[in-house]
Amino acid sequence: MAKPSLIDQLDQAIQAMLAGATAPRPAVDPRLESLVGVAAELRDLPRESFRARLKSDLERKASMAAAAVNPIPQGFHSLTPYLIVEGADRFLEFMKQAFGAEQRLRVPKPDGKIMHAEVRIGDSPVELADANEQYPPRPTAIHLYVSDADAVYQRAIQAGATSTHEPVDQPYGDREAGVKDPFGNYWYIATHKLAGEGKFIPEGLRTVNIYLHPTGTGEMIEFLKRAFNAEEAARHESPEGTIAHAKIQIGDSILEMGEAHGPYEPMPTGIHLYVADADAVYAQAIQAGATSISEPADQPYGDRFAHVKDPSGNSWFIATHIKDVQF
Amino acid sequence: MAHGRPLLEADDNPTDERLLIEAAQRDPRRFAELYELNFERVYAFIARRVRNREEAEDLTSEVFHQALANIQRFQWRGAPFAAWLYRMAANAIVDRWQSVSKEDVDPRRDATDQASLDEIEQHAMLYQLVDSLPPDQRRVIIRRFVEQKSTREVAEELGRSEGAVKQLQLRALENLRERMGGAHG
Repeated sequence: MAKPSLIDQLDQAIQAMLAGATAPRPAVDPRLESLVGVAAELRDLPRESFRARLKSDLERKASMAAAAVNPIPQGFHSLTPYLIVEGADRFLEFMKQAFGAEQRLRVPKPDGKIMHAEVRIGDSPVELADANEQYPPRPTAIHLYVSDADAVYQRAIQAGATSTHEPVDQPYGDREAGVKDPFGNYWYIATHKLAGEGKFIPEGLRTVNIYLHPTGTGEMIEFLKRAFNAEEAARHESPEGTIAHAKIQIGDSILEMGEAHGPYEPMPTGIHLYVADADAVYAQAIQAGATSISEPADQPYGDRFAHVKDPSGNSWFIATHIKDVQF
Repeated sequence: MAHGRPLLEADDNPTDERLLIEAAQRDPRRFAELYELNFERVYAFIARRVRNREEAEDLTSEVFHQALANIQRFQWRGAPFAAWLYRMAANAIVDRWQSVSKEDVDPRRDATDQASLDEIEQHAMLYQLVDSLPPDQRRVIIRRFVEQKSTREVAEELGRSEGAVKQLQLRALENLRERMGGAHG
């Protein structure tokens, strides 16, 4: 049989080499040995796609570090309620009249509806938007701490809310009332009487606190621990063994919840969650059982943003503030 | 495309490398330049000590993320930046082995052994040189060595004859040998 050409010998040697260390190496012409040597070193040639991907990952991390902006934008906390209603315009007016909300930002759509707005009530931001096909209205329960629950309850009623219960002193130190606003949201209006001189909010809570009524509060808490490194700050069980009230610490904020019962039905809502690394938290949430609605992506308003749904149907808008943008 | 990126020149001029490090310490966005200069080195160091490409990529990624996160802590003492990266790479490999299986050679010794470092330097330079090959030669090398395709598969993909692909493979290796400055003989 004729001896293969040099070109074929080289190719056979490379093929044997790529097949692995155990494959027999065909003998090659001495003139080819140095080329086979070069080929052997090329076995570990890196993938260009990997090189490029790692570079862009590092650049993203570096620009987050360089921006040196707080990953939670000024005025925000780890958790902010995102309320989606029919008639956001009127809802905004309601919050101004009833709770003294101050408008901070209002981004209208061409048809006049509100694409996004932010208000501040006491020490807390609240975000809101008009409902649309993608985001139908999602009534939410808010635990609102104010200096005079009776007065705020009256103002809410005058602004159009319906009473769910009149102000009453609770054994845990709260003077507390409840209203349902014309947009379907529940407001638990409270003044904490044991907070000390000049204070009316219990330790760890704020003016505005999101209050969930899930079915299966225990599972919900376990999910939050896995997804967002939540910690259980308090848990009170009912005589039936369900969780009547729990305080779940996520970042610098507390999420309150109590098992759904009677009129307190599950009301899956929208929660804006600011974290240091939206990509990592997104991945962790998915791992914990959340459903991805949108993957992390940079937004023109300066946040990196992802959207997941938890097993109870709440929308979590996971965000990291990466740069300050002037509107 | 990575054509035209600098070819491992920082070592030749330690002052330049020092300036790059200081720039990255002031502004982490400048880290990209250190990455460009050292990617092939770190990859070469790791790739020959682990079992497969996925593991090599995983560890390379870990080393650079760690380097970026700790760039402020890097203190210039005259040793090249790559030495710091090799130390992190060696530790990352050892950590991985401890969690998977035992190997007999400690890569932490290689991280300071001059003969090993020279060899890594040579591999890294070779990887960078692949980018400077004429495009059709480069395509063949990538498909053959990175994607591990047979000459026949490469020929089909590129719409060339097998003979032409083998010819390009030969020319590419000759080119690389020549550009490596006859280091292979």
